[in-house]
Amino acid sequence: MPTFEMGGRSYPVDEDGFLEDPQMWNEAVASDFATTEGVTDLTEEHWKVINYLRNYYLQFGIAPMIRKLCKETGFPLKHIYELFPSGPAKGACKLAGLPKPTGCV
Amino acid sequence: MGVDMATFNRLARGLLVHVGVMPEGVAVVAKDQWELGNQMGVLKEDYLETLAWMEEELQSEYHDSRIKIPVDRMDADVVYAINPREVKYDPRTIAEAAAIFHFAGENWTMPSDGWDMTNFGLFNGDDELGGAVARRVYEAVERLRGKKLVMSECGHGYRSTRCEGPNWARRDVGFEMESSVVTMLRYIREGRIKVDKSRNTEPVTFHDSCNNARSCGMTEEPRELLAMVCTDFREMYPNRAENYCCTGGGGAMAMSEYAPRRLKSAKIKAEQLRATGARIVCTSCHNCVDALFDLIRHYKLDMEVKLLVSLVASALVVPVPVAMKLLEGYKILVIDDEPDVRVYLRTIFREQGAEVIEAPDANQGMRALQSERPDLMTLDLILPRKTGEKLYWEIRKDERFAALPVVVVSGYAAVDSPRIDFHRFLAEKHLPEPDGMIEKPIDVEKLLAAVKKALK
Repeated sequence: MPTFEMGGRSYPVDEDGFLEDPQMWNEAVASDFATTEGVTDLTEEHWKVINYLRNYYLQFGIAPMIRKLCKETGFPLKHIYELFPSGPAKGACKLAGLPKPTGCV
Repeated sequence: MGVDMATFNRLARGLLVHVGVMPEGVAVVAKDQWELGNQMGVLKEDYLETLAWMEEELQSEYHDSRIKIPVDRMDADVVYAINPREVKYDPRTIAEAAAIFHFAGENWTMPSDGWDMTNFGLFNGDDELGGAVARRVYEAVERLRGKKLVMSECGHGYRSTRCEGPNWARRDVGFEMESSVVTMLRYIREGRIKVDKSRNTEPVTFHDSCNNARSCGMTEEPRELLAMVCTDFREMYPNRAENYCCTGGGGAMAMSEYAPRRLKSAKIKAEQLRATGARIVCTSCHNCVDALFDLIRHYKLDMEVKLLVSLVASALVVPVPVAMKLLEGYKILVIDDEPDVRVYLRTIFREQGAEVIEAPDANQGMRALQSERPDLMTLDLILPRKTGEKLYWEIRKDERFAALPVVVVSGYAAVDSPRIDFHRFLAEKHLPEPDGMIEKPIDVEKLLAAVKKALK
């Protein structure tokens, strides 16, 4: 199993670099994985997105629709892409410790 | 030797699927397509809400409330089907396509069911799944009595729905099926949309998706389209049916376990891309978009990936719609002693379709009111000889003009504070407040909003 190493910490990940076990998530995961997704500084806005994704996933077991994410955080779609250059599915979900979304993504 | 390896491969996959053996990633998606009708398990209400959201976004982006994303419109000329990832994760491409349909004046719609044109039956080799998924799309078009099915940019979906689907579903399809690439090209050729290639000046190269190019022969249309919407197109070599794979073909993108192998074999692709010197690699397949994105990052190329629809949308020249002019059909009298202000107001109102008459003082204003009978008057308070207040008093007492909408446009910030004086004046004379009050310097948006409100 591949691992992702950052700041002396080591995370088991899948081959696409998503956290293998979503239960292992903590705030350090988001900060450590941010560097791979083109996010240099985790701001309050990033956390708002990450926490929403995280809570939604824990409740429903899947990633939310982008519509829900924008509605709940109040961020326009464009802004989500500004916050997470690699997009909501790959970037934001990865930082929130969700498994890689299924399908053509 | 003429052996079709891909067909053999798919046959073997199909046999394995029938005995329950397949990669997990593909199995999950296939299950969603069987059970939920689309490959990402998107619920109908979420799909519809997302379309409504994109409609709102478009209306605000183009300031045009007539832009719609029509759902289940009967007898449409175009029924548009998409890849579920567009609705689940990135609906920008839905909005871009909708803008293009709208400005082309297309009679189009999106179906509330049968809108997923992707088909994992192609990947897992299961003709039954392939047939069931394709049938859903065909039945959606038939239910709506649509004339043509247009599919968004997804290589395997295009191949599955247009080329393989009728065989899997064992039925004839009585309507035309077209890639949105061809649709966009048609619109430009027929003059239904106008594009300005100078909006896309960064060097662009084109990556042929295997399913579009090699399987379905769509190689020239995207190039013709690119030549019309960007200024610096650079071919990659090899290309067309000989192009190197994005590394995500055959369903590989749905299987994380192949990611390291994909990225390793992507070296040749990365070199091919790098050699073009392009900043944008355009492709016509969502799957290629993701695979290219991954390898660009892995090999640290300075490139972005875009679909054709995004380049066409950004080159789109939007006509100023006649009825969108806020003040079309209205006659406005501008009373102001400063010529600069009159020119300014005249320009703003004329741009919005209004007929404008002007007067430099109250007396000429009164004469213009009588002879021209305008629908609305803007009034400066500080005028030579007779003040604006006096004129306002006169017209409110004159039954011919008592109900005339008046927007006061004046420099209240003056030292003698005419705003306070004006309100005192209104109170003393028992006059109603004007229909709008705008302070100089003039804020165009506030002005137009006030004028529009006053006219209602």
